Amino acid sequence: MVVEVKNLTKRFADFTAVDNISFSMGKGEIVGFLGPNGAGKTTTIHMLLDLITPSGGEISIFGKDFRKHREEILQQMNFASPYVSLPYRLTVFENLMVFACIYNIEHPKKRIEELLEMFEIADLQDEPAGTLSSGQNTRVGLCKSLLNKPKLLLLDEPTASLDPEISHHVREILLRIREQENTSILYTSHNMAETENICDRIVFLNHGKIIADGTPIEITKAILNEERNEPALEEVFFRVIKDTKTI
Amino acid sequence: MKIHRIKAVMRRHLYDIRHNIDRSMDVFYWPIIDVIVWGFFSFYISTNNTFGPSIINFLMGAIILWSIFYAFQRDFAVGFLEELWSRNLLNIFSTPITMWEYLTGVASISIFKIIIGSFTASLCALIFYSFNIFPHILLLIPYVLNLLFFAAAIGICITALILRYTTKVQILAWSFAGLLQPVSCVFYPLSSLPQWLQSIAWFLPTAHAFEGMRQVLTDSTFSSTYFWWALILNIFYFPISLVIFKKTFEATKIRGLLVKLT
Ligand SMILES: Nc1ncnc2c1ncn2[C@@H]1O[C@H](COP(=O)(O)OP(=O)(O)O)[C@@H](O)[C@H]1O
Ligand SMILES: [Mg+2]
Repeated sequence: MVVEVKNLTKRFADFTAVDNISFSMGKGEIVGFLGPNGAGKTTTIHMLLDLITPSGGEISIFGKDFRKHREEILQQMNFASPYVSLPYRLTVFENLMVFACIYNIEHPKKRIEELLEMFEIADLQDEPAGTLSSGQNTRVGLCKSLLNKPKLLLLDEPTASLDPEISHHVREILLRIREQENTSILYTSHNMAETENICDRIVFLNHGKIIADGTPIEITKAILNEERNEPALEEVFFRVIKDTKTI
Repeated sequence: MKIHRIKAVMRRHLYDIRHNIDRSMDVFYWPIIDVIVWGFFSFYISTNNTFGPSIINFLMGAIILWSIFYAFQRDFAVGFLEELWSRNLLNIFSTPITMWEYLTGVASISIFKIIIGSFTASLCALIFYSFNIFPHILLLIPYVLNLLFFAAAIGICITALILRYTTKVQILAWSFAGLLQPVSCVFYPLSSLPQWLQSIAWFLPTAHAFEGMRQVLTDSTFSSTYFWWALILNIFYFPISLVIFKKTFEATKIRGLLVKLT
């Protein structure tokens, strides 16, 4: 297993953001983290990066205890989110170079050019990061997240600020990388259609709890509680919200 | 500690100096302006009263050494603020980098800036006011190291405060040293302070360093008493600052504030 999370809990004062969740991810698996706003998706991702310390539970990544092997594990992971950005005065190339050096990757220049090419933003390499549009910033963030050829990639709403065409392109890149490098990807999104078509498995979170875990079709059947031939995550999503409100 | 990660932090700040007029001003502008302004002033009083010409040495030496202290403590906090302002903290701390590697990188680049800045300021003092600090450098270095040591402790504590209270307290990066300045006896001997302030000053490595500096500049002798006092105080303060920082960083991750900072 690439990721094994057991009874993970995060309490902020008396509010429980992540409530005793357990899940795992296999090699080369793309897992979608779904759930309404405030479900605890981002908090969980941050705990998997040691940006937030859990209140309880265990995290093991690449078969090792995360707390004890933080540096070694993070060296083979990466993360992207459109809600973070890079130092605004540095150019795109310089920013990526800094991260390439942090990860100590070989032939950094070549790797950076390759990635910029892949995301079709090679023309931005000498632009200061502060002048980028949010969609461009997202794609530079994705380049950053692939610099070290991570074995585990955590993406928090990676396509939130992208138009449908670019967002489609990004998904194609991610699928290709998974094919080539056997990367495991944890992916959060509010776009049910895209989650359906990229993810092998869905972990559905609500109020910090996992309410379903399975393939899109399994989830659909489980939550809608009826026989279906096609996944219908959007319907699932509305059902979850409605049920929560009536409770 | 991995050297390539420390070098990456240095690279990030070197790029910034290249692009950012503010940061290059930090290197040259203030050290030079200070030397020029204080130079005129000390030149004026040395020709008009009873202090004699040694006053110019005291003031020039004081301004150069104080600039070093001020810049070093400021750079820790400003380096961290730069990441916070650009919402880069999560990018950085989701890499394997440790807080200590990060701080070491920031400190190294700051030392590099300080060497260039204070060399230029010293050159100005020599050219404009014939104050030559260079022959004294060997004897001054132990005091400068003590100043850097204490500046690091202060800078690390201020960074911890920014971690905890965010940009609400960012002004401390530029202002806190000012609070220490009167009691550090930068421009006047310790004996000129009122008794109760003197007893506070004894606890500041800066006060000992500046007393020592004046002795070097007056009769070119080195007082090991001042040196050791400053060092012992530093050996006491510095680990405390590291503990404060470590605790704050851990608390920040528990409260989920690192994530909120961006
Ligand atoms: N640092 C924090 N302090 C207090 N509450 C927090 C903090 N971070 C997140 N939360 C709360 O935890 C809940 C889960 O947030 P989050 O993980 O960001 O949700 P999601 O990403 O699923 O939308 C939200 O109610 C949020 O307000
Ligand atoms: Mg979120």
